[in-house]
Formats: sequence, C-alpha cells, structure tokens
Amino acid sequence: MLSVPLLSLLILLPLAGGLLALACGGRLRLARGAALITALVELALASGLLTLTGGAAQGPWLLTESAPWLPALGISYSLGLDGVSLLLVLLTALLQVLCVLVSWRQIDDRPGLYYFLLLVIQGGVNGLFLAQDLFLFYLFWELQLIPMFFLVGMWGHEDRVRASFKLVLFTLAGSLLLLLGILGLYASHGAATGSYTFSLAALAGTPPAAGVQGWILAAMLIGFAVKVPLVPLHTWLPEAHTQAPTAGSVLLAGVLLKTGAYAIFRVALPLLPWAAVPAAPVLMVLALAGIFYAGWIARAQEDLKRLVAYSSITHLGLVVLGLAAWDLMSVSGAVLQMINHGLSTSALFILAGLLQARLGTRRLADFGGLWGALPRFSAFFLFFAMASLGLPGLNNFVGELLVLLGTYRASPVAAVAGFIGLAVGVMYVLRMVQATIFGPAREDLAAPDLNSREMLVLGVLAAAVLYIGLHPGPVLELIEGPVRALLAPGPRVALAVF
Amino acid sequence: MLDGWPVIAPLAILALGGGLIFCLGAFWAGRPSGLLWWLAVLASLAAGLFALSGPATGVYQGLLDVGLYGRLFTGLLALVCLLALLLVRRYALARGFAGEELYGLMLLAALGMALTAGAMHWLAFFLGLEMLSICLYILLAMRKGADQSMEAGLKYFILGAVASSLVVFGIALIYAAGGSLLMGPSLTPAGQAPGGLTLLGLGLVLTGLAFKLSLAPLHVWAPDVYEGAPAPITAFLAAGSKAAVMAALIRLCALLPNGLWPYWVLALWGLAALTMLAANLSALREEKAKRLLAYSSAAQMGYLVMALVGARSGGLSAALFFLVAYALMDLGVFGMLGVLSPVRRDLGRLGELAGLARRHPWRAGFLVLCVLSLAGMPPTGGFVGKLFLFTAAIKAGYLGLALLGALGAAAAFYYYFKVVAAMYLQEPPPGAEEPPTAGPAEVLALGIIAAGLLWLGIFPGWLHGLARAAVATLGG
Repeated sequence: MLSVPLLSLLILLPLAGGLLALACGGRLRLARGAALITALVELALASGLLTLTGGAAQGPWLLTESAPWLPALGISYSLGLDGVSLLLVLLTALLQVLCVLVSWRQIDDRPGLYYFLLLVIQGGVNGLFLAQDLFLFYLFWELQLIPMFFLVGMWGHEDRVRASFKLVLFTLAGSLLLLLGILGLYASHGAATGSYTFSLAALAGTPPAAGVQGWILAAMLIGFAVKVPLVPLHTWLPEAHTQAPTAGSVLLAGVLLKTGAYAIFRVALPLLPWAAVPAAPVLMVLALAGIFYAGWIARAQEDLKRLVAYSSITHLGLVVLGLAAWDLMSVSGAVLQMINHGLSTSALFILAGLLQARLGTRRLADFGGLWGALPRFSAFFLFFAMASLGLPGLNNFVGELLVLLGTYRASPVAAVAGFIGLAVGVMYVLRMVQATIFGPAREDLAAPDLNSREMLVLGVLAAAVLYIGLHPGPVLELIEGPVRALLAPGPRVALAVF
Repeated sequence: MLDGWPVIAPLAILALGGGLIFCLGAFWAGRPSGLLWWLAVLASLAAGLFALSGPATGVYQGLLDVGLYGRLFTGLLALVCLLALLLVRRYALARGFAGEELYGLMLLAALGMALTAGAMHWLAFFLGLEMLSICLYILLAMRKGADQSMEAGLKYFILGAVASSLVVFGIALIYAAGGSLLMGPSLTPAGQAPGGLTLLGLGLVLTGLAFKLSLAPLHVWAPDVYEGAPAPITAFLAAGSKAAVMAALIRLCALLPNGLWPYWVLALWGLAALTMLAANLSALREEKAKRLLAYSSAAQMGYLVMALVGARSGGLSAALFFLVAYALMDLGVFGMLGVLSPVRRDLGRLGELAGLARRHPWRAGFLVLCVLSLAGMPPTGGFVGKLFLFTAAIKAGYLGLALLGALGAAAAFYYYFKVVAAMYLQEPPPGAEEPPTAGPAEVLALGIIAAGLLWLGIFPGWLHGLARAAVATLGG
C-alpha cells in the first residue's frame, strides 16, 4: 500500500487549485494559469496512476483508502479505484484541461470564480467515481450539482437563468429521491443484519429482502435517471446544454451525465440484484424510447448545440441499454461508451462553441458551405460527426458493437431495436454535417480558421478517438476486471420476456 | 441532587448581567451604551464558558437539568445570544435603539431560553417560556418610530399570550391528573396508567409549543413578525427561542410514557407533515427576503419534528445535532440581512439583493453558504443535519413522512435558489443603494457562523457524539 493518499489527492488537488483560482479573483491571467496548472497536474497524476498500477492485472481494486469518519453511524471515508473509475477519472482530467483551454479567450468575466467552479466540479466528480461508501457517494453527488448551476446561470447564453433553474430543480429533486433510497437501504440493511453501515461492499454482500428492494431501487433509479438522462426525465438537458458556456457543455456531457450511468452501474444494480431483474426490461424500454425519441427530435433541431444535446440522450440511451442487459459484454461496452461519448460529444460541443464564437449564431440555417472558408474546422467537424455516428475504426463503433452484441445475448428483441435506433442517428448526423460544412457557401461567413490552441484541443481528442477505435484492447482490459467482479455475485438478468 | 450555585452559574451570570445593565443604564447619567454592550457580551461569553464544564447528569433543586443536556443547551443559547449581540451592535446604533433595554433584555431573554431548555419542572418551564416571550415582545417592537416593528411586537404579543395561556392550562390539567409538577412523575403517576386528562393537557402544551416553533397551522404569524422585527432581533428570535422550545419538546419526547406515545407520535406526525408542506409551499410565491426566510425557518422546524417521531429509535440526537446547525444558519441569514439593510428600513424584496455577488462577493458568498445549508447541500452542517433527520424518520419506519419531507425539500430548492439567483445571476439595478459597511463585531460573528457551518458539515463526529451522550441522560 502506498503511503501517499493518492486517491484523496485526486479529489483535493482540484479543490485546492480551485480555491487558488478563486483567490486570484478578477486577475484573468493568474486565474487562468492557476486553473491550467492544476488541471495539468491532475492529468499527470491520473495518467501516473494508470502506469503505476499497471492496468487491471491485480484484481478489481487497484488502490483503496479508508478512514473512519462517523463510526457511530457506520459512515467511513473510504475510496477505491478500479479500472472503470480510473478511466473515468482520467477522462475527467483530460476534459478538464481541454475545458480550461477552451475557456481561454471565451471567459473574461470573473475568471477566478469561473475556474473555481470548474475545478470544484472535477473534485466532486472524482470523489463520486472513487467513493466506496454510500454516504460519501451522496455527498459528492450533491457537491457537483451546485457549481453547474452557477456555470450555466452566470456564463451561459441568452436564456441562461431559466435553464440553470431547470437544471438544478430536476437534478436536486432527483437526488432527494436518491437520498430516500439510500436511507431506506441503510435502514433495512441495518434492521435485517443488526449492523448499520453505508459501506458499498457490506451492503452488496447482504442485500435487503426482496420485497423492500423494489421501492429502494425505484427511488434510486429515478434519482440516477434524471442525471443520465433517461426519457421522460430528460427535459432539463437540452436547455442546460444549449445555454451553458462551452466548457459547461463539455463537462455536462463528458462528465456529469456519466455520473448517472456510473451510479446505475456501481450502486443501483449491484446493491439490489433481485429488484434489478424486473427493473431491467423497464430500463431497456426507457433506454430504447430515448434512443428513438431523442434521435427523432434531434433530426428536427434548428440549433446546433441543441442537436448535439439530443444526440447525447441517444448515446446515453445505448449506455443504459447495455447496463440493463447486465451481461459482461454489454456492460463493458456500456462503460466504454461512457468514455467514448465523453470524447466525441465533447468535441462536437467544443466545435459548436467555436462556431458560435466566430459567427455569433448556433442556427443551422445560418451555416453551410463552411468547408471552403474553414477547412480545418470542417475536417475536425466531419471527423467527430463520423465518430459520433459509429464509423468503424473510430471509438463509438467498438462500444456500440459490444453493447448490441451483449444485449443480444440477454434479449435479442432489444438488441435489434437498439440497432434500428442507431440508424435513426445516421439521419441527424448527416443532416448536421450537410447543413454545416457542405452545401452552398454563404458569402458573409468570413471568419478565421482554427488557431493552434484550438487545433491542440481537438487534436488530442481526435487521437483518443482513433486510439480507442483502432486499439481498444488495453482500455477494455481495464474495464472488464471490475465489470466481472460486479457481475459475479448477482443473479443473471434473464430477459426471456422480451 | 446537586445544590450549590456553581451548577447554575451560567443562569446566574445572565440574570445578574441583565440586572446590572439595567441598573447602570438607569443610574449612570451618560447611558454608556458601548460599555453596556461589552458587559452583555462578557456575560453571555462567561455564561457559555461556565456551561462547558460540569457533571454528566444532575438536577438543581428538582427544577433544572444541570447535566450534559441542560448544559449543552445553555451553552448553545449563550452562543446564540453572543452572536446576536455582535450582530445587533452597529445595527442598533445606526437606528437609535442601542441602550440598556436592548442588551439587558437580550440577556434576560437568553436566561428565559436557558430556563425553558433545562426545565425539569413545569413551573420552571413556564417561567422560562414567559421570560423569553416577554423579553422578545419588547425586543421585537424596539425599533422606535417603525410601525412595522411595533406591529410585529404586538402581533407576537397577542398570539403569544394565547399560546401561553394554552400552555399554562395544559400544565394545570397535567397536574390535576398526575399530582405532580415535576415533568417526569407528572406524566407517569405511580400505580396508574396516564389517562385522558394528561393527554388533553399534553395536547394543550404541544399546541402552545407549536406556536412558538411556528409549526403549521400555527405558523402564520411568523412571516409578519419576522418581517417587522429588526433583522438581528429576528435572528435572535428565530435561532434562540426555537432552540429553547425545541429542547423542551425533545425532553418531553424522552419523558413520555409508552402508553401515551402512540397519540403523541400521531400529533407530531401531523404537525410535521403539515408544516413541511405548508411552509415550503407558502415560501414558493414569496418575493420578500425576510418573509421567505421566515417560511423556510418554519419548514426547518417541520423537518425537525419529523425526526422526533423517531424518538424511540435514536431520533433525538439527530434532532439535537440539527438544532445546532439550524441555529447557526438562521443567525447567519438574518444576521446578513441586517448587515445589508439600509438604515431607513430593512431589506425587503429579493430583487434588492440583485448583483450582490459583483459588489460584495464575500457577503454573497456567506449568504450562499447559509442558504445552501438551509437547503441541505454539502459541505455544510445543514447537509449532515438533514441527513440525520431523514435517517431517523426512516429508521423508525415513517417512510411516508420522509417522502413528504423530501417533496417539501424539493419544492424548497426553488425558493432557496431564487435567493442565490438574485445575488449571482441578476445584474444590480442602476443607482442601487450601497449597503452600509459592516463593523468588526459583525464580521467576527459571521466568521464564527461560517466556520461553524463548515465544521459541522465536514467533521460532524464531535457534536454528534455529544448529542448522543446528552440525549442518553434524558431517559430518566
């Protein structure tokens, strides 16, 4: 065991860096610099962990930390890092660096507070991905909600106040149901076993009676579904995404939505295995409904950011589909899809933000023929659009394939439906590409092409997309160990009903 | 039985301090309000410090709990009084009501609160309740020339008098049935089961307490009174009198015989459910800062009573923990409103907070901390406290009540974030009035409150342990 509390460092470093940025106040250069350095150090730390632990070879847990916090109530400060959380922490760290770079010229109003909020989100999310105690998990769950309210509300676009209120009301109301679920689990576990604990391992070891599980799972799933977001609890997302500043959209899509899916994967289904069986078809239907519905709606969007936002819902629908099938392959694919979506959708949001900064509009009708004026931009746009579409050789293809194949083993009908749903996706992506970079050029679209900072940001993302698309082995290796460990004890979700 | 004055030193200090301040004010021609303020601060500080040490259990003359529970509340109430004194100084000076009446009455009110919280005898309890109420009637109406302040005092007085009469009649009935004025024995008379008369008496007492705690449907006075009173006094009222009365309610829950428990819990259930819903829903449409926070403070009491239904399964310590956090939060929000208020009148509409974050980032940040704590967000004491409350209700098997509470809390997010949005998302109107500069005393008080809220949120273990130990001494 290492003597340096590396996991706590992952959480505390962004918080400390955030406070530093906050202390810089209105001094733009200082605040920006503090944020960039913090984000870079955090990325180095996360990548260091990847090499240090040498992948998934040593069983599910790569690193753990534990200390008593409120022993009288069975609450402990315990963190654990496995392949899945490592990947998510790494993704967050990468996106954070890019977020700071993307905001470089965009944000000049109260930069200290802005970077403070960005970094607090990172600290909270890292805590969430590492928490091995439900109380701690809930604490971090709540902690990451508030900064986004400010980010959207203070630095967002024209309709930002409404969007930030909707965001906070939906997510907080969901988290209250989650709280009731957690407390219900805590109380029923304590009443049954005599030991009151919030420890994930202990709770998973002795699940509560089957009768109670349904209620608890329902409360938890509603809380998580708001975040994912699952139709019909998704209405806050398009608005929040559309109104958020670019970095906000990136964090929202790349990281915060993942917390919902991650929670279903780590908390809801493993802790309540018996209720998960009847819940799986429901989840699948909702996930499929999301894929079709959001894909259809995306097709009709006039606003580029809104279109990408709806595409997020379809991608995460596929993630939930894979999780609900609860099969080694489908769950691994779902986890991989979380990473993939974080890479490709973030890139699309960044591109949309760049376009808005240059042309002052997000309306598809205002674009067209950009390939002539902005060739670099257009090349990246096409590349990430294709990645989002699931072109073989790019990252999403691998994840989608795994999810669908795994789901097929659990429920062929659902898998086929999911496959057809993906075809809907082709339509909106093609429309988006067509409306933006192809077609007749509009004469007044004169704007500078990407500068080197922007090229760097997008280049890094493109490299990651290509790497996972061409050589997914090492990433999947990291994912499969923890997934296997989580899947092992629970009953297999047989979906003969489908 | 403990006798000897050291055990009641905190109360004696408050009483003597109050008396001394009145005498000095009356007989010292110059009415040195600065000196009197220092005296009051020292008295409340000394009372708090004296409350720190002592035996775990003990009863003074059969009247007062001087054990851990009583001392914990005496300490808390002395702290509330101290913080309120720090907050009220500049405010009162600028508005011309600083003087021996203000400081003396605040000490005496704190004495009444401590008596109420520590009483083990119905007479001591009633004495404390009356003392805190009468002092508060005057304090609320203290601001000279302000009609609203006068109206607030009068409203609180008339309704409070009715509540007091209900309590005293209830006590009479309990005495008639139980033959004792000691709280414990009066509820569990030797050799006979407690009957309907006791129950009726308890119901009347509970009604009176519900008024003081602003539990629905007896909460309608709170917004008017809170709005009319000078903001620091509102802070004192909201934090202190509720903590004291809640201490008594917690004690009653512990002392209640099993035979009466089912009726009692039914009443608590109803009060909690109604309060959580009514107060939160009323606050949704409120546009005035103090009224909104008055409803919020009523709703917080609703959550607290929700935990009391779990009194038989460890809910009391949760309530105690939350009460401490609650006192800090309400002192914080109302104290900050006092700091921000222009001299002519107190801050009114939420819109007056617009753009505060840009002009005064520290003040806005402080208010956000308190409001997030009220909403139950980490990393504040309100988060841990609310978690304890919900745990207590669910552990006791009241899932439906917890669900109602969650509904109320979900609605509450809307109005709490309205406060935050006003400060951060709205631009200041052109020509907005610049709030006065805060004095060092206020800064100190707000700093203590902020540190306390964060400390309770991050290291709740110490207070939770203390609360459990204190509640354990109540059982007898």
